[in-house]
Amino acid sequence: MQRVVRSAIIDAPIERLWDVLRDFNSHAEWHPAIAESQIEGNEPSDRVGCVRNFSLRDGSRIREQLLSLSDREHRFTYCILAADVPLERYVASVHLKPVTDGDRTFWHWESTFRTPPGRERELISLVGVDVYEAGIEGLRKLLTA
Amino acid sequence: MIRVYTSSVIDASAEKVWEVVRDFNKLPAWHPLIVESRIENGHMPDKVGCVRAFRLRDGGFIREQLLSLSDYDFQCIYSILESPMPLTHYIATLKFTPVTDGERTFAEWSAEFDCDPAREQELARHIGQGVFQVGFDALKQRFARR
Repeated sequence: MQRVVRSAIIDAPIERLWDVLRDFNSHAEWHPAIAESQIEGNEPSDRVGCVRNFSLRDGSRIREQLLSLSDREHRFTYCILAADVPLERYVASVHLKPVTDGDRTFWHWESTFRTPPGRERELISLVGVDVYEAGIEGLRKLLTA
Repeated sequence: MIRVYTSSVIDASAEKVWEVVRDFNKLPAWHPLIVESRIENGHMPDKVGCVRAFRLRDGGFIREQLLSLSDYDFQCIYSILESPMPLTHYIATLKFTPVTDGERTFAEWSAEFDCDPAREQELARHIGQGVFQVGFDALKQRFARR
């Protein structure tokens, strides 16, 4: 099982980040790798169990399901149901915490998954750099512009 | 039950910060309010269950017991056995988490306790700002990048 973790300090109050991140369909607005996204079945994006169906700029498709959403802990978890990229048993969580010293936010993003033999490095870098680091930068830009 | 939560960011890796704070007997080495400390009964400071007895700069005397110590999570949990503060059932957690974006550390210090409702605000401010934030400010300064 692989584990990828990325974390950052964002210069914005936790409520501003959480407002955006709790919307499971918002990534199309802030993540540079995502072309378009929709919630299947016209369900609300904060309904636990809902599925986001999205495409990346390279044309590949992914379906992800919301497994938990906590407004109290500022945390959500989700898994991949189907993807062109071979990330197996992929479960990820996003967790925000307030930095009381300066009204900033600590953003923790992590996942565990399996990969086909020989593709570990490539897929770990895809998740850590292209998804998490690029996503954190994307939302940071949107919020602190 | 009152809960106090203070968090900050320190400009050093969590390993480096943890090296300074993991020793339950070394508060005087990094926290400006504490002048002397010893571990009772000659125990090692990383023996879970050990008791530190220390003095504050203002003369106050406090005894605290180590309840949990994790080198894996960079976390330490302890309770107050004896102190001049009018509170009971005090349990505090000090935790450090790596920030992968830049070699920094997210520092959290929280406590839960019971006290006379009339003194809640004053005690929460004293502990959160007067003790925890002062400790973090000292760590920030110690590790400040020039």
